[in-house]
Amino acid sequence: MNVSTIQDFSGYNPTWCPGCGDWGIGVAIKQALIQLGLNPSRVAAVFGIGCSGNMNDFLNAYAIHSLHGRAIPNAIGIKIANHQLPVLAIVGDGDCYGEGGNHLIHACRGNHDITVIVHDNGVYGLTTGQVSPTAQKGFKSKSTPSGILETPINPLALTLTSGATFVAQGFAGDVLHIISMIKAGIEHKGFSIVNILQPCVTFNKINTYQYYLQRTYKLDANYKKDDFKTAVQKSLEMNEEKFPLGVIYQVVKPSFTDQLPQLKEQTLVNKKRFTDFSKLTKLFI
Amino acid sequence: MNFTWKIGGEAGFGIMTTGTVFSKIASRFGYHIFDYVEYPSLIRGGHNAYEVHVSEIEVSYLNPTIDVLVCLNKETYEKHKARLTSSSLVVFDRDEFEVKEDIKKIIIPFKKILSDLKGQPVMKNTIALGVSIGLLGGNINELIKMISEQFIKKGEEVINFNKQFVQAGYDEIKKNYSDKILKYLIKKPDKEKLAMTGNDAFSLGSVIADCRVYSAYPMTPSSSVLTNLAAWQEEVGMVTRHAEDEISVINTAIGASYAGVRSAVGTSGGGFALMVESISFAGITEIPIVVFIAQRPGPATGMPTWTEQGDLLFSVFSGHGEFQKVVLTPGDNEEMIELTAKAYNLADIYQLPVIVMSDMLLSESHKTVSKKFVDDFISKYKVDRGKLFGQDSSFVKTFPVAKALRDKSESKQKYLRYQITDDGISPRLIPGTPGYFYQANSYEHVEDGHTTEEAQSRIDQVDKRARKWATYLSHDFAMPKVYGDLEKSEIVFVSWGSNKGAVLQAQKLLFEKGTFSAFIHFNHIYPLDKEKVTALLNQNKRYILVENNSWGQFGKLLTMETGVEIKEKFLKYDGRPIWAEEIVAKLT
Repeated sequence: MNVSTIQDFSGYNPTWCPGCGDWGIGVAIKQALIQLGLNPSRVAAVFGIGCSGNMNDFLNAYAIHSLHGRAIPNAIGIKIANHQLPVLAIVGDGDCYGEGGNHLIHACRGNHDITVIVHDNGVYGLTTGQVSPTAQKGFKSKSTPSGILETPINPLALTLTSGATFVAQGFAGDVLHIISMIKAGIEHKGFSIVNILQPCVTFNKINTYQYYLQRTYKLDANYKKDDFKTAVQKSLEMNEEKFPLGVIYQVVKPSFTDQLPQLKEQTLVNKKRFTDFSKLTKLFI
Repeated sequence: MNFTWKIGGEAGFGIMTTGTVFSKIASRFGYHIFDYVEYPSLIRGGHNAYEVHVSEIEVSYLNPTIDVLVCLNKETYEKHKARLTSSSLVVFDRDEFEVKEDIKKIIIPFKKILSDLKGQPVMKNTIALGVSIGLLGGNINELIKMISEQFIKKGEEVINFNKQFVQAGYDEIKKNYSDKILKYLIKKPDKEKLAMTGNDAFSLGSVIADCRVYSAYPMTPSSSVLTNLAAWQEEVGMVTRHAEDEISVINTAIGASYAGVRSAVGTSGGGFALMVESISFAGITEIPIVVFIAQRPGPATGMPTWTEQGDLLFSVFSGHGEFQKVVLTPGDNEEMIELTAKAYNLADIYQLPVIVMSDMLLSESHKTVSKKFVDDFISKYKVDRGKLFGQDSSFVKTFPVAKALRDKSESKQKYLRYQITDDGISPRLIPGTPGYFYQANSYEHVEDGHTTEEAQSRIDQVDKRARKWATYLSHDFAMPKVYGDLEKSEIVFVSWGSNKGAVLQAQKLLFEKGTFSAFIHFNHIYPLDKEKVTALLNQNKRYILVENNSWGQFGKLLTMETGVEIKEKFLKYDGRPIWAEEIVAKLT
């Protein structure tokens, strides 16, 4: 089998700001797909709207550039139709924790076998720098000139307590580590989320590379990732501006499509058409 | 023979189930039925009523009078006594209430029977069924057979327990009211019929059309489509998803459709309001989607369990930006089956949202449909997936073949998802096909799907998408059906959707008075063929617009699309369906 190359996955040249964390995440996604032996015909990616979503033009794959906030339900739909296809939702923090927050919670509950990759930079870059739901309380932005009043969403705690079976965190400054997180997420059977801490060099002067370099640390090799209570404790460290990197939590449970007997033999898209209509018409006699 | 049976009681006590059983049993006896439910948006308390119009000929309208009224409480009598005649029979229990008026009383000791047989209050309904079948001259064994089928999963004991109540009700009639028995439900040989609601018809039509994903959030009066398909999904090999909200509902279906399976969603006006951004998304990405809207009176929560046609303009113009969609408005179950199945073909052929509109009256009323009609439709229906890249489909044979398909010299064609074509339709490609990839893009895009903000590319794509409508109008649009003799008639009714039954009956009533009338029934309601429709509506006639809303929404749409203005209108917007007699009264 031919191994794919980075060129196979490369579409248009990215238009991200020089130094933006999206560059690292973009490379990491391609590398992860290559290392998993996939090619652009064998993966589906759904993008939200935002700087992260603009990756739609830079990554070759069967893809949907969706609406703001709606990538997750599109990804769920693709998975239901073709559960043998790896499905990624590549989204931003505003996209996934704000506009589409409801979808995230319920995708966790359903253990839908999709991998959600979140670009978490605390701001809305594409609309020139308003706060996102992960901005720290007091963060000043164009939409919050006196500082944001709300406390930030905790993506790890939120998804963990909503039923996610794989929760990981990476940092855009450590591409090799993100590659391993994305690979593990895609390989995980069930719902996976990789929250990637990502500096916005243009609009976020607080959460910089320096900021994260000082406050992130990798989980050590002995970390027990299948213990829910430990994972919840780890996730809460973010409240003290301490950011664990690695797989915070992973357990194996049947995914949504695993539990559908009608998908046991075949994917939905490859099934034969049902034709024994007498089974239905008799219900109305 | 033509009569109306009606039962009423407190909400939460099985009135709906009883009504459905009555409709089915009348159908099994060989008669046509059309029924109608009235219920508040409550689970307990409040008043429920269910009426069944039974006839030897096909019916889809309500009778003004009630022939047999079964009152499980006093409210039933008080609310519906205005529709009784001197020959109507009223069933009630003296232990419940007393009737002062001089009417034909059928007194049944429901309470006593319940206590003698140690039944739950809900089993008053079972007694009422026995009483009704007895009173209408039906065969009790047919009813017992149906009750047995209903409880088959609960075992012999439950069946036998229920049988006693049916029998007790039946015996009361035989014993005390044998002189009152009407020979209405004598079993007669007739072609097999299916007693189904509009929602049942949409569900069945969807399976016939090979819909594989149905996603919904429960909302009256659309919910029974979800419960039907959820119950059938394992058998037929489809997947239903009850998602967290309507936004997720439609985006799940769009994702599944992108991945290659026929997908649909169902809701009512409020849920559809949440979906409209994604209707626009399906428009620009050209992802096929079928949307079922069962209307109820709005705005906002409105009157959840009643009927109205108030969402026509909203549906027609749903979604931001300019994009193409098709809206179909079936008038009865037969049309619902045909147009639902057609909707999936249109969605695939033209790669756009197709909206199938219903309302509470059509969605929740049972009407008998000939089984042969359904079987024949099933055998002649063909799934047409439209243009698929690299595959021969029936569409490719009849439409100009896309350039990429003609060019077989290149072993590896570059796939252009949004290829500029003469008919506006670009071949689709099922994701996962080896050697290719593409993106469906919610941004404006160039032919291969990449984002663009260039002026010419924008114009090219807007024009390409617009050509789909021209192709649809010349290939798949159907002119409204005209009932009656247009030439002979001065009066011409113009209507759409579920008003069909009432307007057809109004025509009959007028004919009985010696007046010819015609009826133009629109079910391919948007887009319209301007020239052809104008020609039908600008003759020297007395046109009367009939709609179940207060604006005359279809009238406005007609004016906008054709310039024709219908000045005379019959509009009803009290949450109740239109009655034929009301239309006739309006004329004189």
